[in-house]
Amino acid sequence: MDFHDLSIFMSRSNTSTAINKTGSWRFMRPAYREKTAPCSAACPTGADIAQIQMLAATGQLKDAGQRLLQENPFPAICGYVCFHPCQNDCLRANFDEAVAVSQIEKFLGRYLIETSGNPPCSSLSKVSPKVAIVGAGPAGLSAAFFLRSLGYGCEVFEAQNEPGGLLRWGIPAYRLPLDVLRSEVYRIEQMDVPIHCDRPVDATLRAKLSKRFDAVFVGCGHSRPIALPVQGAEAVLDGLAYLKQLRTKVNPRIQGRAAVIGGGNSAIDVARSLVRLGVETLVIYRRRQEDMPAFTAEISRALAEGVEIRELFTPLQIEPQPSGYNLTLQKMKVANHGGQGQRATVVADAGRTRNLHVDHVFTAIGAEADPHWQPPERAFPEALHLSHCTLTKSHPKPVVYGGDLTNPIRSVADAIASGKQAAMALDTYFTSGWHAVEPRLKACRVGRGSSLSMEIYKSGPRGARLDQLVAFEQINLDYFRPRGRSTVGLSSGETREPVFNNVEARREAGRCFNCGICNDCDNCRLFCPEVAVTKTKTGRRIDLDYCKGCGICVTECPRDAMVLTAETP
Amino acid sequence: MKQVLEGSHAVSEAVRLARVSVVSAYPITPQTHIVEALSDYCSDGTMPARFLCVESEHSAMAAVIGAASCGVRAFTATSSQGLAYMHELLHWASGARLPIVMAVVNRALAPGWNIWADQTDSLSQRDTGWLQLYCEDGQEVHDTVLQAFRLAEGVNLPVMVILDAFFLSHTYEPVEVADQGAVDRFLPALVPRFKLDVNEPYALGQMASPAVYMEMRHSIQMGMARALTWFAQTEQDFSEIFQRTYGAIETVACEDADVVLIVSGTAASTCRLVVTELRARGERVGMLKIKMLRPFPTQAVRRALSGVAKVAVVDRNFSFGASGIFAQEVKAALYNMDRPPQVYSYIAGLGGRDITTVLLEQIWVATRETSAPSEESIWMELRTDLTAPPDDPAEEPK
Repeated sequence: MDFHDLSIFMSRSNTSTAINKTGSWRFMRPAYREKTAPCSAACPTGADIAQIQMLAATGQLKDAGQRLLQENPFPAICGYVCFHPCQNDCLRANFDEAVAVSQIEKFLGRYLIETSGNPPCSSLSKVSPKVAIVGAGPAGLSAAFFLRSLGYGCEVFEAQNEPGGLLRWGIPAYRLPLDVLRSEVYRIEQMDVPIHCDRPVDATLRAKLSKRFDAVFVGCGHSRPIALPVQGAEAVLDGLAYLKQLRTKVNPRIQGRAAVIGGGNSAIDVARSLVRLGVETLVIYRRRQEDMPAFTAEISRALAEGVEIRELFTPLQIEPQPSGYNLTLQKMKVANHGGQGQRATVVADAGRTRNLHVDHVFTAIGAEADPHWQPPERAFPEALHLSHCTLTKSHPKPVVYGGDLTNPIRSVADAIASGKQAAMALDTYFTSGWHAVEPRLKACRVGRGSSLSMEIYKSGPRGARLDQLVAFEQINLDYFRPRGRSTVGLSSGETREPVFNNVEARREAGRCFNCGICNDCDNCRLFCPEVAVTKTKTGRRIDLDYCKGCGICVTECPRDAMVLTAETP
Repeated sequence: MKQVLEGSHAVSEAVRLARVSVVSAYPITPQTHIVEALSDYCSDGTMPARFLCVESEHSAMAAVIGAASCGVRAFTATSSQGLAYMHELLHWASGARLPIVMAVVNRALAPGWNIWADQTDSLSQRDTGWLQLYCEDGQEVHDTVLQAFRLAEGVNLPVMVILDAFFLSHTYEPVEVADQGAVDRFLPALVPRFKLDVNEPYALGQMASPAVYMEMRHSIQMGMARALTWFAQTEQDFSEIFQRTYGAIETVACEDADVVLIVSGTAASTCRLVVTELRARGERVGMLKIKMLRPFPTQAVRRALSGVAKVAVVDRNFSFGASGIFAQEVKAALYNMDRPPQVYSYIAGLGGRDITTVLLEQIWVATRETSAPSEESIWMELRTDLTAPPDDPAEEPK
């Protein structure tokens, strides 16, 4: 049968649907607006962690390393010793496990050392302003690094015979290999920053510095140990001094049983060092273990290595014996548990004491600044008390106090943050005046806390991001599969912490959600029902003639790098 | 080759022989066996076709609409709620003039949940622009699927091949399975009159203004009208190869009948027996089986019933507020003829209840002995005491 006479009358069109400008339906408008990853806001140095993981995961190690160096002169050191608050805030922890950011940082830091990947640095002119830096610890060296990158000439004055400060003398070699420290300090020296060792800054030198330099940064740290206020305390060894001894001597010999009094990171460093030398070690702390100011990870490692922690005890008396010491310990009890995140208040549990014989006693209950270098009081009129440093107009040149002298948390990352903040504050003061400092620094915040970004300060693209932190609910989990962290084993007694290899590092970096930043996944373009998203040389463009505001692109963005806002009529 | 096949598999075999390119379906009892066999054929390579697994019947129909729009032979099957769920896309398939073939296993609609035979599901889709062919046994459903593709592709309209739940879908009978070479002669490869083609892009089914919509609807009706003659041609071509024919309607002993029983589906088989027995006793009774409901073969029905005094339509379905649906169709067909027969409407066998020889004979007796039909349909074998055990409980299928 022939069907030619049977017409099929139906809608069929050869014209394009471009005639239908669906953009006229729109009452919501999507836009590419990157946001702040919680990890980068938690990092005192404000490192662009999400971006760095993205680069590392795709093998762009050089770029990843350079991005680290934009905010931190010491990525390898931080990879070894930082308490990585970034990982505590990692959104991936709500899904399976936080990304091992510190291990990746360590890997990238070592990559930078091995490839001599130093940041480019412009040469100085005769008119460049000069800053004197007191103390070659992490704060002072960071101040030099960032000031130098802003075009200031810097010279560092260090009392000890080698730069590094607490990194060199206070942190044991098993936590931070000496070659790593020296390589990263060398990075500063290569930037034309002389470091004068064996040059303690006394009153005379200080007066000279004020004349020769346009500003002074004081980052001399807490060099004076606090003595234990009990009878016999003068006979025992200071923990920090002992750590320094360990880093000086080649083969220290010690045996028997030791007590370490204190609960901070130095106490744990001393205890872990002693265990490595074969000494049976007891940490005596007056509050509960969970109240110890030492980083939790360090405490766990110490316990795993055989350190014993005796909580709620404080020494009453220390009696030197012909061999060793007799300690009288007072049992403490909790008077007030304190709130969330607060330490307990403890009082003596009257009548309950205990005697203990040990061969060695070390105290590590804190340190303080030389009175000569105390920063000005809060009430001091011509001082700006910033989160990580204090800027004063005095002397007649400006002085910035930083590092442990001013920092709320005494960590390497906070010391670096201090050097960065000081550099920004001084530069703003010189270029725009005293009153410009605080608003300018506020504009450089990563997120809404105290972390600052040098990239934003230098008007880099990161400044375009919203300071709003990405929330876990904004991550589209449809695009992720649970995958456990790549681990590197850490066995007791190893002198060096292991490092990711290239494959492990890339794999681990690939676990990062890349919160808030575009990683070119292209979902927005692929899902757009109106084909209104087009790729451009620099990114993507939304054609508002056709975008009907459905918001599918924003929903399908796995990492909250877009926003949907109401159209203004 | 003759095989003992379940009714469902008589469908599957025909789909395989029709060289269908795309099958998409969602399982629902009692249809599932049809597509289960086809999914095996697709996965083991027996059929070089794609089986698209979907999350619903709505999507299954959408998938075959997509496939058919691209100019390939496409098949799906469903039942009851699944068919109801496809409803809007059934309109789309016919409006888009797509020659899709679908097997519908007649099953009752819920609530209450009932998986047994009842025609109301397919009859609810009467006005969607699909051809509807109701089958009596395994051989007929096998042959009708093959014919359905030819029918659909000739007039560019979709076809439902309809079979009763369990009475046909799950009953094993000897079926002459067609030879592939013979099928290929009867049903050559599809040459679509239009298809989506990336090399010659255009859009289908977009806006149609009042200025053209009515003409589009009329075009569908012209296709439907042509389907009546095309069906006859198709059957003739089929019988030349396979020596079997069914007709849009079939009459048995109607010529001198006083009463003609009008049936469809598997009830026709039972009715044949009743007519044979009554004729042997000298009773002037005939049977009219309606296979094709859409397009409705009005002229054929009129011719068959010309001179008949009374017809009794047995409906395994019901249109609430009106009557049995086949009865409505028959009344509408007969109304304008000269001296039309009286039309009696009986409702029987809903939800899988058996339509027995005894019941059909009761209907014959009631029709013969009543001088005029009542306005309302007569519901047969309604139970008055629902607390007593039923005489013949429907057995749960395994």
